Amino acid sequence: MNPRKRAKLKESITGYLFVAPNLLVFLVFIAFPMIAAVYLSFTEWNFLSGFSGIKWIGLANFKALKTDPRFSYAIKNTFIYAVTIVPISLGLSMWLAYVLNGDLYAKKFLRFFFFIPYISSQVALAAVFKFLFRDDGLLNTFLVNTLHIMKSYPDWLNNDSLNKIPIITLAIWTGIGYQLIIYMAALQGVPNELYEVAEIEGVSSFQRFIYITFPLITPTTFYLMIVRTIAVFKIFSSINIMTLGTSYASNTSMVMEIYRNSFVHYKFGYASAESLVLLLLVLTITFLNFFLQKKWVHY
Amino acid sequence: MAVKMKTSKTIRRVVKTIIIAFLAILFLVPMLWMLSSSLKTTNRVFTTPFKWIPEDIRWVNYKTVWTSKSMPMLRVFYNSLFVSVVSTIGQLVFASMAAYAFARIKFKGSNILFLFFLASMMIPTQVTIIPRFMLFQSIGLYNSYWALILPAFFGASTIFFLRQAYLSLPGELFDAAKVDGASHWLTFGRITMPLTIAPMISMLVLSFVSMWNDYLNPLIFLTRPKLFMISQAIRWYMLDEVQRYELTMAAATSSILPIVIIFLFAQKYFIEGIASSGIKG
Repeated sequence: MNPRKRAKLKESITGYLFVAPNLLVFLVFIAFPMIAAVYLSFTEWNFLSGFSGIKWIGLANFKALKTDPRFSYAIKNTFIYAVTIVPISLGLSMWLAYVLNGDLYAKKFLRFFFFIPYISSQVALAAVFKFLFRDDGLLNTFLVNTLHIMKSYPDWLNNDSLNKIPIITLAIWTGIGYQLIIYMAALQGVPNELYEVAEIEGVSSFQRFIYITFPLITPTTFYLMIVRTIAVFKIFSSINIMTLGTSYASNTSMVMEIYRNSFVHYKFGYASAESLVLLLLVLTITFLNFFLQKKWVHY
Repeated sequence: MAVKMKTSKTIRRVVKTIIIAFLAILFLVPMLWMLSSSLKTTNRVFTTPFKWIPEDIRWVNYKTVWTSKSMPMLRVFYNSLFVSVVSTIGQLVFASMAAYAFARIKFKGSNILFLFFLASMMIPTQVTIIPRFMLFQSIGLYNSYWALILPAFFGASTIFFLRQAYLSLPGELFDAAKVDGASHWLTFGRITMPLTIAPMISMLVLSFVSMWNDYLNPLIFLTRPKLFMISQAIRWYMLDEVQRYELTMAAATSSILPIVIIFLFAQKYFIEGIASSGIKG
């Protein structure tokens, strides 16, 4: 072997030594489980029957999924969560970032307040929201006894047509901190001259936002849209905590169903099929977003 | 005229600040409710009219949850701290090694491997959780902290972030090290690491917080109450037969407080870590 080749080989070996720990963890805890999940989705398996109880059943799980009312609820609910949570929380944080970036005292201090819910334990906050939305909770007391806009106490947590609202509110509230920081960073990149010209031309603050700021930060909006939509698709902790002890189809999510079927009913094959549907939806959203991006993102 | 304009500008600024400050306080109403309720007696939590400041402030609630016989927050904190610290440090060490390899070492297959690592970010952990459960059951890691720690050693986004940081260091630095005959290990430990302390702290705080707040993994992999982590403890207080709302809220407040304190000291690093993850667009 000539010395140059040997040096190259040595370099390659060093490279692999550097990535070895990560590669190992990646193979054992991500790649292998991913393949196993695909395999399991074509089987029927009650975990309690041991590995020998795994039975190949082809596409039966996926066929059953199509007629499973709970799973269609989970998908429908997930879409409702996505189309409410993503635009509202993005809109709010964009506006907040715009204001916080403007002429203001104590910006960093104020930003801190909006950031706290994002870094806090989602379980802790879901517990708080569960109490706030109780029929005798603070929200109802405020709506009925203070504002008098409602006569009776709505049952936010158990009523089938209302019980998505606490979950949506919580997700919007906790997401703002993260989006705010990314939007504020993006706003720093908008050239000041544009605003100066706008001021000379006598453009109103609202128009300035619509015609200058908004188009220039669309790449950020696009990025956040993907990130947030995917996060909403994986929604679990808040629903699990708010529905402790109950199990409603009206506000369930895909991960809630995966969890229920696997770790409550031990139907591992079926739950794996559900998790593959989740993966497929996440991938579709990611790719769809990338194609749509060309249509409305101004670079 | 100029003075007049300046004062009107200042007034506008003050008014704007007051409005946003008011919004900020409104934003934190749920937190204030949590804090207030954690200091009450059980039957005062849901009384009308609501009292923001309890008549007698019961700090004893905190003492109760911290030293409780069945679910002491002291033990829970120790568990969560152990898992979060070990996972975070492991992730940082291994991720920075991989990041260095991807940024500065030319090795066969590095591009494909990097692509695989990046693509894995698209796989939700929820998709692989059933096979991981089987794996932990069969190798005896079920009800062990290593079931949470080992998978956390791989952090694709941390690798990506640190790789960017290493690539942004001047190339002459590495050329000089090579000329001097420094090995990659030396270059990594003596040049790269010391120059990228700030991005490392950013990743450190972010992954610490996500481990501290994790819920799904502990819920599935740890079933013995003695092992419970912070989110499970809050759930435990909610499920307790004797519904003591004030204790649930004291546990919730206790879980949030350390994170807020870390944030106060490391705000800059949090912001930089998050902002640079999103600015790519």
